[in-house]
Amino acid sequence: MTDLLNSFLRNRWVRKIASPSRFTLFVVALLIIVSTVRRITGAADITSAGLSGATLRFTIPLLMAGLGGLWAERSGVINIGLEGMMIAGTWLGAWFAFIYGPWVGFLAAAIGGAVIGLFHGILVVRIGIDQAVSGLAINILALGAARYLSGILFPSRGGDISLSPVVEQTPTLTVPGISPLLGSIADKNIFLLSDGAGILSGFVTEISYATILLLLAVPLSTWILWKTKFGLRLRFCGENPVAAESLGVKVYRMRYMALAISGMFASVGGAYLSLVASQVYREGQTGGRGFIGLATVIFGNWRPSGVLAGSVLFGVTDALRIRQPTSIHAALLVVIIAGSIYVIWAFATGRMKHGVRALMATSFIGLIYLTVPEIPREFVSFFPNLATILVLVLLAQRLKPPAMLAVPYREREETE
Amino acid sequence: MSTIIDVQGIEKKYPGVIANYDVNLKIESGEIHAIIGENGAGKSTLMKILYGLVAPDSGRVLINGKKVSFKSPQDAMELGVGMVHQHFMLADNATVLENVILGSEPTSTGGVIQFEAARIKLLEIAEKYGLNVRPDQLVSELGIGERQRVEIAKVLYKGAKILILDEPTAVLVPQEVKALFENLKELTSHGLTIIFISHKLDEVLAMANSITVMRSGTTVASVEPKNTNKGELAKLMVGGELPKRGDTSTKPSDEPVLSLSHVSCLAPDQREILSDVSLTVHKGEILGIAGVAGNGQSELIETIMGLIKIDSGTITILNVDISALTSREIRDSGVGYIPQDRQRDGLLMMAPLWENRILGHQSTPPISNGFWVNKSAAKIDSERIVKELDVRTPSINVMAAALSGGNQQKFIVGREMSGDPNLLIASQPTRGVDVGAQSLIWNKLIEARLSGMAILLISSDLDELFNLSDRLAVISKGKIVAVLDPETTTPEQLGLAMTGEKI
Repeated sequence: MTDLLNSFLRNRWVRKIASPSRFTLFVVALLIIVSTVRRITGAADITSAGLSGATLRFTIPLLMAGLGGLWAERSGVINIGLEGMMIAGTWLGAWFAFIYGPWVGFLAAAIGGAVIGLFHGILVVRIGIDQAVSGLAINILALGAARYLSGILFPSRGGDISLSPVVEQTPTLTVPGISPLLGSIADKNIFLLSDGAGILSGFVTEISYATILLLLAVPLSTWILWKTKFGLRLRFCGENPVAAESLGVKVYRMRYMALAISGMFASVGGAYLSLVASQVYREGQTGGRGFIGLATVIFGNWRPSGVLAGSVLFGVTDALRIRQPTSIHAALLVVIIAGSIYVIWAFATGRMKHGVRALMATSFIGLIYLTVPEIPREFVSFFPNLATILVLVLLAQRLKPPAMLAVPYREREETE
Repeated sequence: MSTIIDVQGIEKKYPGVIANYDVNLKIESGEIHAIIGENGAGKSTLMKILYGLVAPDSGRVLINGKKVSFKSPQDAMELGVGMVHQHFMLADNATVLENVILGSEPTSTGGVIQFEAARIKLLEIAEKYGLNVRPDQLVSELGIGERQRVEIAKVLYKGAKILILDEPTAVLVPQEVKALFENLKELTSHGLTIIFISHKLDEVLAMANSITVMRSGTTVASVEPKNTNKGELAKLMVGGELPKRGDTSTKPSDEPVLSLSHVSCLAPDQREILSDVSLTVHKGEILGIAGVAGNGQSELIETIMGLIKIDSGTITILNVDISALTSREIRDSGVGYIPQDRQRDGLLMMAPLWENRILGHQSTPPISNGFWVNKSAAKIDSERIVKELDVRTPSINVMAAALSGGNQQKFIVGREMSGDPNLLIASQPTRGVDVGAQSLIWNKLIEARLSGMAILLISSDLDELFNLSDRLAVISKGKIVAVLDPETTTPEQLGLAMTGEKI
């Protein structure tokens, strides 16, 4: 019976029809829960435009790092150097934006990231240095180089060794008509409607053009990787490089390109931090987001849409962390309600084991909710990591990493 | 018919080895041409030259009367020569269609793949040649036979007129072999030419239109199947006679060594993988297990070795219940185990031979005193194995990966028989090895039986089962459906039992 159900769900057409509607259902259910929680707890912030806007701003850098990781890993190379490439992006973005304006800043970050990506490629693909070692070297190198250059260039221009001068803001878009309308609905305090409007208005008010452009990287990555010749060959380098080479694919060249794209994405994500999320370069600004990007790749099962989902999860918690503690507490209630619904659903469909496990987890969170009045912010920033570990443990069977991920490959010598 | 490939005086040297010399070969258009020879006879090198992976040092290859010199497999493909590899060159994580089109993707401007056009072309090819492939399936969901069809579809899609198959039947179960042969006949009926490399004389005789025999790097004879027989081919290959069954006059004793009684075992999804299995192997007996692959053979071994836990029944070795023991304890109680996949379960490919000697014996003398591993004892005993089993290796310090498959297998057999275990479990002990190694391994098994070892032999090679076994148990869907006497059993009886009929 379960076999039948599985094969039914795996059917191409069923998947096409089911997934968007399931997604909508999921969003609506979440909105109802969140609205209810706001009513109960009075934590107005959790459905405010402020939180949703902040979530978006925190999501983009993680998304870029995640896509960077995805491109590299799809070609069979792990890019531990994402963090260093992001650091390079924050610095390059800020410096060039200070001189020539934000768009040049982004361009410089993209080029610089691609160069560092290629550097990683030459180290691991051509020379054969261990992928983790090369990545860590890039992280350390980028950190030192950024501080060194900051010390030379910034103090005379109004910054200091760990801080750049303030740069110009990227232009923003407030959708005329819709944004004020949503704002006025949000202020009316109608259950569900105001909450939905509040969240939505965060997405249409003062949104940076950079945000919109970078979000397009998700469908673009999917399209290139799955619909073009370049993408197909790149993926085969990660799945079976021997076969790819036997059919005339230049494995080294594909991996170089994948790593250049990987570095470009990570670096642009860094530039977003220093140009959009704030308007200044600060040392330590990336805060380990490159590593979280790697986690979103796993969370997202090596697919761009999955990386987006993972980035949003991390982005929400990132945003919650800097807002009011009451929001965090309220967010806990959201998790409890969602968990309870899952428990009921699991028991109703006869999946006792899952149900019992979820019940225990939910009760545990419930206990925390009742006994701990203020959740430490540190815990919140840890939550997405916990979620990634849970995904790994629970869905490990279904995850499909590229088969030859992180396995070094030597091209055949001319003479065999 | 006309000559489509004409190989004249090919020579290829590698440092220290002459892989091919004075190789001459004529292949007619539209025929199935078999190339047979022991491991190391130079078949693979010749194939690599034909499909463009390596270039010969001297000699020439003519295709349709024109001299060719390939720089890469793509060059060969352009002239219609395509290779179907033994270890399939497929990506599990991609669809059949993606695997087929890789390297020759139909694209519109901007490099966008025209998947619809590709799908139609693939389905047309599948239809024309009777290859049952579904374009949108993930390769990870396919069985071995299906993967092979995808490989064949792949070279046909790229326009191959001459297909080279490297030991295509080595990985297949009997029904799949039959289906493959039908496919190959279908291909030749459309004018394609097939070259296939094999160890299996029966198949070659049944399938090929002509046969070329290679020995020690050169072609020694070209024969037609109707003018020859197994004995003659084997003689040409090894320069000697086929191994005969050892002394059968001695009968096994009545003393049971391994006995399973009503053993059942459930998979995590509650499917029954072993069902009420009862069997006994006596001292000095070889019990053969026959059956179509995937009917519980691996699970049977894994339960005996303590790798999976049984749900009911008992397993005893020399009257000691072992069902609750760990693999380590079971091995230490005197059980040797030759696993079916030597490279995955039998050896550390990147470790030297003498370290491989330690595997599985790391807690028993002479290799260990219970705490320290005795390196010199391991080396001395490795030397013994190399000598006694004629393992061809420059030294015991080379990596296992440097040895050919047959020599790796001989080393494992020697290791698992060391210390004279009470029970030896031999799973596919001669799969994919050359005739010389096979004969040596068979003789070792027969010797061990005579000296009183109990041997459980799991094999898909009927010659092996019939030549060695005192009794044959047939397994089907996790049940023992028949226990037969190999002296009197007919192929029909066996065939029926293997398909699950009670006899």
